[in-house]
Amino acid sequence: MVGPAATLTPLARADGSASYQCPSTGSNILGSVNAPVELPGRRDALKPEEATVEVFVKPGTAPAGVGERYVEGIIKGVLGRLILGRERGYPRRGVVVTLATVGGDSVGRGDSYLTLLPALLHTALLALLSASVPLSMTFSATVLAVSDSGEIIREPSTEQAAAAKSLHVLAFSSKGHLLLNESQGAFDFETWEKVHQRALAICHGTSAIGSDGDVAMVEDVDGQPLEGTIRETIEDQVHRDYAWKIDAV
Amino acid sequence: MNKEAPLSITERDFILNALREDVRLDGREADQLRPLKVSFGEEYGHVKVQLGRTSLIVRISAEVTKPHDDRPFDGLFTIAMELTAMGSPAWDNGRQGDLETYVTNVLDRVVRHSNALDTESLCILKGVSCWSIRADVHVTDYDGNLIDAACIGIMAGLQHFRRQDAVVKDGQVIVYGLDERVPVALNITHKPLSVTFHTFDEGKRVIIDATRKEEQASEADVVIGINNAGDVCFVSKFSGSPVDAMVFVDKTSVALEKVKEINAIIDKALQADLSKRAKNGMAEQSRAENDR
Amino acid sequence: MSSPLVLLPGDEVPSEYLPATNSAPLRLGPGLRLLTQPPSSSPSSSSPSHVLTATQAGILSTDNKRNAVSIFSSPNRRYIPTPNDLVIAQVHHSSQDYFHCMITPQTPHVVLGQLAFEGATKKTRPMLKQGDLVYARVLSVGLGAGAEIELTCVNPATGKAEPGGLGHLTGGMVFDISTGMAARLMRASSSSSDQQDGVAGLVVLDELGKKLEKAGGFEIAVGRNGKVWVDCSNGGDAAVKATVAIGRCLTTIDEHDLGPADQKKLVSRILREMKIDV
Repeated sequence: MVGPAATLTPLARADGSASYQCPSTGSNILGSVNAPVELPGRRDALKPEEATVEVFVKPGTAPAGVGERYVEGIIKGVLGRLILGRERGYPRRGVVVTLATVGGDSVGRGDSYLTLLPALLHTALLALLSASVPLSMTFSATVLAVSDSGEIIREPSTEQAAAAKSLHVLAFSSKGHLLLNESQGAFDFETWEKVHQRALAICHGTSAIGSDGDVAMVEDVDGQPLEGTIRETIEDQVHRDYAWKIDAV
Repeated sequence: MNKEAPLSITERDFILNALREDVRLDGREADQLRPLKVSFGEEYGHVKVQLGRTSLIVRISAEVTKPHDDRPFDGLFTIAMELTAMGSPAWDNGRQGDLETYVTNVLDRVVRHSNALDTESLCILKGVSCWSIRADVHVTDYDGNLIDAACIGIMAGLQHFRRQDAVVKDGQVIVYGLDERVPVALNITHKPLSVTFHTFDEGKRVIIDATRKEEQASEADVVIGINNAGDVCFVSKFSGSPVDAMVFVDKTSVALEKVKEINAIIDKALQADLSKRAKNGMAEQSRAENDR
Repeated sequence: MSSPLVLLPGDEVPSEYLPATNSAPLRLGPGLRLLTQPPSSSPSSSSPSHVLTATQAGILSTDNKRNAVSIFSSPNRRYIPTPNDLVIAQVHHSSQDYFHCMITPQTPHVVLGQLAFEGATKKTRPMLKQGDLVYARVLSVGLGAGAEIELTCVNPATGKAEPGGLGHLTGGMVFDISTGMAARLMRASSSSSDQQDGVAGLVVLDELGKKLEKAGGFEIAVGRNGKVWVDCSNGGDAAVKATVAIGRCLTTIDEHDLGPADQKKLVSRILREMKIDV
């Protein structure tokens, strides 16, 4: 399966930015981060000891609504766990994350945002890295649909998601911890366990699963773990940025 | 903060002094545009405009709705522009600034009020259903001259966009998918574009396509909306110091020349995209035949 | 160092990359933090109880002389004030004792003492107005929440403007560059130019210096906050053009990451375009 395509720092004005193309849904997300900045008019909401994270999600072809506010809350929760808001220069300042769907289908009014959530999360992460916001770790996320027949579909298309019995978005930190678990629809514990295993394999590869060898084939299906894709994107950019330094060595 | 950081005295003085010697910070002539690149995405009506370091993305979309009661024969057309912190750290998410109000207003007048898009052709069934066309402008990098860049994006998007075909059968509206019937181009009556001028030195120096710093250093701005035929559809001078009436007269001919130049760039990009699509379409067709 | 090591937040710094241990304590630069490892994780191994982990993505850079280690992160990032950095600040307003200045947009103002200038006394303090530029050094960034950042234009120990040039910047023009480019320019302009390929991959300043010698040369001040001030006031009629040419060279090289050979080509091309005789 084709991995996602991402670019770091495509924008000039924002402090950090990333563009992310999700192969299965075809959606193209552009993200920007401005940090650390002053957040005027929100003095009372600011925390004195750490940074305030603000997330804004802008749909591509419609005004923003409840769905966007909802997904903003989820993203804010995940990023808040990552950002070291007490580092120098960050307390009482804002980390402003802006995500816009600039290509591909937008999520229709009232439809589930879960299919787009991993792409939004990855874009936000890459933009934060591009802005050099101090983070405790990185993460990777994926969305899985469970069809009526119990089959697990990785990164389902809009039609598959609409027909699915349940949808699950899971994010794992670079240390392998479960960082986010958002599900919708009807499912039982057993199904969730399977989904969890598969998601872990997608994000971290099978080696992370442990000693039980019978899931080894999954790696072939899912190709390179997402964690590796994100790392490669960053390494490419760092090599480009510091070509002058690397060439000199 | 919702406001760009003010210029230093050094920058303000230098920009003015350099203009007095006919020198601009990027080495351009007073009547020269920055390099303009118009490109199209995979979907219909997806345009990326890069004007120097200003860049934006326009997405055109269509949906079927009910027309306004007082205009039963008219479809709807809206331009939605929301400035987010992506374009400039000075912009606040979710709050409308003065710039946003101003630019939206000008775009509305240049493109919408000049009837560039024939809204009557969007009517499907009188008083019951019509197409609602929406142009979303996403500003991704702001380095001055937002109005002209957005205008280019919207006009290119409208010309590139194809809506689904819809017919009325026994009083029922049927909308065909993009793969069921050949999608329909919008009815564009004329192609107006705006050209923004900025004045310096008590109106003695006038430049087009100002960068952000030049905009901040300028005394006043003049916007002229004009189409290829030379019909002026919009003139404005909202704020700043007075500008001599002759400037408007003189600069209208400059604006006409620039609009022709820009429209030629848009046409070329449209042609290139069309032939690319035709080629892809052929390839797909032959693949389908091979499969059989 | 064989090949540069790229780290992501959360990655541990391998101990073999750290400078060889000597008596001096290890200095941690930006982008790294020291974590205490829970001792119970693997009792058999003799792993140290402390680990260094990255908090930003970038190249690990070690300095054996100073026994320092830091991360070189994205060159387009926003500037965060650090003591001893040279910055170009813009006066916003003044109060009884301080000038309140801006060093990066959309952040709170920093303060610069009215008397923190060479030879300034209560009677002879500089009269700076709104929008004036000063070349200053970051004195302190304070600790904890709400701490104010203070600048100075003198060395508090000697009372002199050290290095020379600190103080009000008059005339000339200031250009915006990335913080990464500012750091490179700083190194390139402060060290001697006997190296073949220039310092930090930049030959542009030497090249411009050679070509503009006849036109009167130029002065330059680099602020770590992503600003560079250029003045060619000795240039006579060509002063404005030469200043614009220098600004265009620097911003273009920054934007397109040009190598030494391309930098030379660019300098020649822009000087030709601007019709400056060399």
